[in-house]
Amino acid sequence: MSAVLLEVERLSRSFGGVAALDEASFAVDEGSITALIGPNGAGKTTAFNVISGFLKPDAGAIRFAGRRIEGLRGDLVARAGLVRAFQAPRVLTRMSVLDNMLLAGKDQPGERLSLNWLAPRRVAVRELEVHRRALDLLELVRLLPLAEAYAGTLSGGQRKLLELGRALMVEPRMILLDEPMAGVAPVLAEQLVEHIRRLRAERGVTFCVIEHDMDVVMSISDRVIVMDEGRVIAEGPPDAIQRDERVIEAYLGRFAPASAP
Amino acid sequence: MDFLNPAFWTFVAIIAGIYAVFSLGLYVQFSLAGLPNFGHVAFMAVAAYTMAILVVRYAVPMPLAAGAGLVGAILLALVLGIPTVRLRADYLAIATVAGGEIIRYLAMNLPDLTGGPIGSIGLLGPGQIALYNGDWLAFLDRLAGNLSGVVGTRVSRDAAAAILVWLLAGLLVLVLWRCERSPWGRVLKAIREDEDAVTAVGKNVFAFKMQALILGAVLAGVAGLLLALQIGVFSPEDYQPTLTFYAYLIVILGGMNRLLAIPVGAVVFSLLYSGTRLLNFFPLSLIDSGSRAFLRLFLVGFLLVLLMAVRPQGMLGNRRELLLEK
Repeated sequence: MSAVLLEVERLSRSFGGVAALDEASFAVDEGSITALIGPNGAGKTTAFNVISGFLKPDAGAIRFAGRRIEGLRGDLVARAGLVRAFQAPRVLTRMSVLDNMLLAGKDQPGERLSLNWLAPRRVAVRELEVHRRALDLLELVRLLPLAEAYAGTLSGGQRKLLELGRALMVEPRMILLDEPMAGVAPVLAEQLVEHIRRLRAERGVTFCVIEHDMDVVMSISDRVIVMDEGRVIAEGPPDAIQRDERVIEAYLGRFAPASAP
Repeated sequence: MDFLNPAFWTFVAIIAGIYAVFSLGLYVQFSLAGLPNFGHVAFMAVAAYTMAILVVRYAVPMPLAAGAGLVGAILLALVLGIPTVRLRADYLAIATVAGGEIIRYLAMNLPDLTGGPIGSIGLLGPGQIALYNGDWLAFLDRLAGNLSGVVGTRVSRDAAAAILVWLLAGLLVLVLWRCERSPWGRVLKAIREDEDAVTAVGKNVFAFKMQALILGAVLAGVAGLLLALQIGVFSPEDYQPTLTFYAYLIVILGGMNRLLAIPVGAVVFSLLYSGTRLLNFFPLSLIDSGSRAFLRLFLVGFLLVLLMAVRPQGMLGNRRELLLEK
């Protein structure tokens, strides 16, 4: 694989004496689909929260595309091209599906109040571009027929698709997905997996995915990172990880019968 | 009081227009950006006091002093907003309630600066009556004169003021209409729904919230200036927290999250509020007027509770949207 896109180095974060992240280090290659797994409480979601700027780290370094981003504000991390989706999808329920998408459009001059009055043409031109991109992406995630519906009327799986589409509006180099398959109807889950593969192949988007469904992990990922008690205990290609003793001990052991290929 | 007295209804129209402008400010903060500002009246007070003090004490021309009043409202928004807007909505609510009351108590207890409890009339110290709205009244008289020429019949000074206030309110509605439909308005509405989701797509939530707070403060400041100029005298008692709640009533009465509902809500509220003043017929006339004023507030409250029970989305609100879970 190619160059490292995201590098996490000795990242620590504790909550009142409990170390959710304890000097965790790992790297994600550009253009890869990397799975982040580990038992409950291993620190996976905390890692996502710190990387995406929603939590400040206590110590450690994060490099994204060669740039230090640890402690950076969440919106700046997103604008740097590293966008996250949430475990429980956070769509804006009282706005239309299309508005959810338009909101996330990158570099919108119309977000400056003054430019709406001083440069209305520039605002309108960009709005049209954003609109076109939103419709394209809605088609991609197969939500185009629901564009005008309130996002609050979508099912759990549709919301995850919308969140994925919305993340793509930011034109990210990398997307962090926190349990994308959890609570998603099987048909939609299949679609999601396919979308992730296609986005990587066609647009070169890098994915880092927290996932509990081992079948999905093994089928989708190029690389697996295993966390336990705030540390990274193993890292490697999926088949090697499945045979790794430490991993089996910490995690896979409990699920091995169900997930053996 | 004569039910058919046009002067009374002209006055009601002016107040309704000023309340509309005041509530438009709350609309930007609360309905658009989801900022629960419970000290909205403080922006009104700061603008009015700044203007009156500059005019009376320093003989600053009225338009300039009015501009300074708006700057004062913006400064207050920064002072209240910067430490609290980043935190959860509850903290902003607490800070703004406290901020509003602090402003009122300061006005009450700094007589050298503000005229103290007796208000603007005492701005020049005891023994002198301070007036600050001479320029405004002269301006209205000129306007009324011109209007009379255009219309053909005599236009009173108050009628000119009512027209002016409502033209301004209408203009502001149009401006906000456009703002709301811009990408800027889209971001604010999204922040109201879920600010983490907005941060996650790369928008600086803090900056947008501050913009909403400041824009709302300016609108409240404009309303404060108009009210002070129109009434001609004010005191700290005129900036009770109740005024903020009237603005909330107007926002809720007309329909949450509907811009056009604001002027409608302001008119309905003013009719309810002033109209109940006319409940002086038998058997209500048996009660003395002080108690009747009390009854009036009671009736306004009752009607609002009734409205909430029957039509929680307000007169023009969208019930479907209201029922969607966050």
